[in-house]
Amino acid sequence: MSVTATKAVPETSDKWEVQVRKGCLELAILAVLWSGRLYGLEILRRLEEGSALIVPEGTVYPLLNRLKAEGLLASEWVEADAGHPRKYYKLTAVGRRRAVHMAEFWSIFSANLDSLLAPLRKEER
Amino acid sequence: MTEADVAQKEIEKYLQELRAALRALPAEQASDIVEELRSHIVEKAAASGETTPAAVDSVIADLGKPEDLASLYLIDDLQVRALASRSPLLVLGSLFRWASLSFAGFWVLTSSLVGYFLSGALVCCALLKPIHPRTAGLWMIPNGTDYEVSLRLGFGSVPAGSRDLLGWWIVPIGLTVGIGLFLLASQCGLWCIRRLRRASPIGTH
Repeated sequence: MSVTATKAVPETSDKWEVQVRKGCLELAILAVLWSGRLYGLEILRRLEEGSALIVPEGTVYPLLNRLKAEGLLASEWVEADAGHPRKYYKLTAVGRRRAVHMAEFWSIFSANLDSLLAPLRKEER
Repeated sequence: MTEADVAQKEIEKYLQELRAALRALPAEQASDIVEELRSHIVEKAAASGETTPAAVDSVIADLGKPEDLASLYLIDDLQVRALASRSPLLVLGSLFRWASLSFAGFWVLTSSLVGYFLSGALVCCALLKPIHPRTAGLWMIPNGTDYEVSLRLGFGSVPAGSRDLLGWWIVPIGLTVGIGLFLLASQCGLWCIRRLRRASPIGTH
């Protein structure tokens, strides 16, 4: 999959940034679903609003499908006023546990990395 | 034809191509995916007011080519099933798809195929030994001044000067090594698929 082909990714972003974003996407999806059910387009919009996670749309739907197959998400079709049905996703109990676990890991990981990066930041000033 | 009709036609064309590319999935699952993306395209294209062909084009461009999108679903599906059932057919199916996408996948597929093939040959040889006691087995066959080692299933005669290396030992050894190799090939395949899944949230690439 060539992520660089997506117009949303800024030109300056290199492969590393793309990998970091990809690696965080699963956690970000579980996080936006934490407070309730959302359908695909809402999930995409939350991801774009709430973070620097510029997400190639074509990867989010298959990822939602996979998270569902792994039992982390459940889905249901809801007839909307908009005239077309929407497929809503919500966290399962397993998904909630996984999200908590990932969030804990992320806190420790990012704190450690931050302290490693402290000298670089001083230099910059 | 109005603009809205053209836009609608474009949506249908995209979804038809997607459905065709998803034909390997169970019909119900494919419909679910197609309907979800229809919902996405319809809503996003209408977000700016009118559903124009240009709006549809831009939404579709963001989703990517139908074949690419479908292949992400298919890889995931095969991997999930291969990991759940451990069936060698699903493992190979998953590896085939991976191999079509990357060089690493090609090597893993080739090694798995060699593993399964050797395993099959050893088990066949062990099973055929009682039927062809004089000709089946692991043979040293003269080849010019040199010797070559050959696993023979016992069809046809053995060239003069050859030596049966294992005799009846081929039965227990062939079965043990053959089954061991079969398990090893499956495990290695599954291990690679699992690593591949961890490497990216979507699957390969």
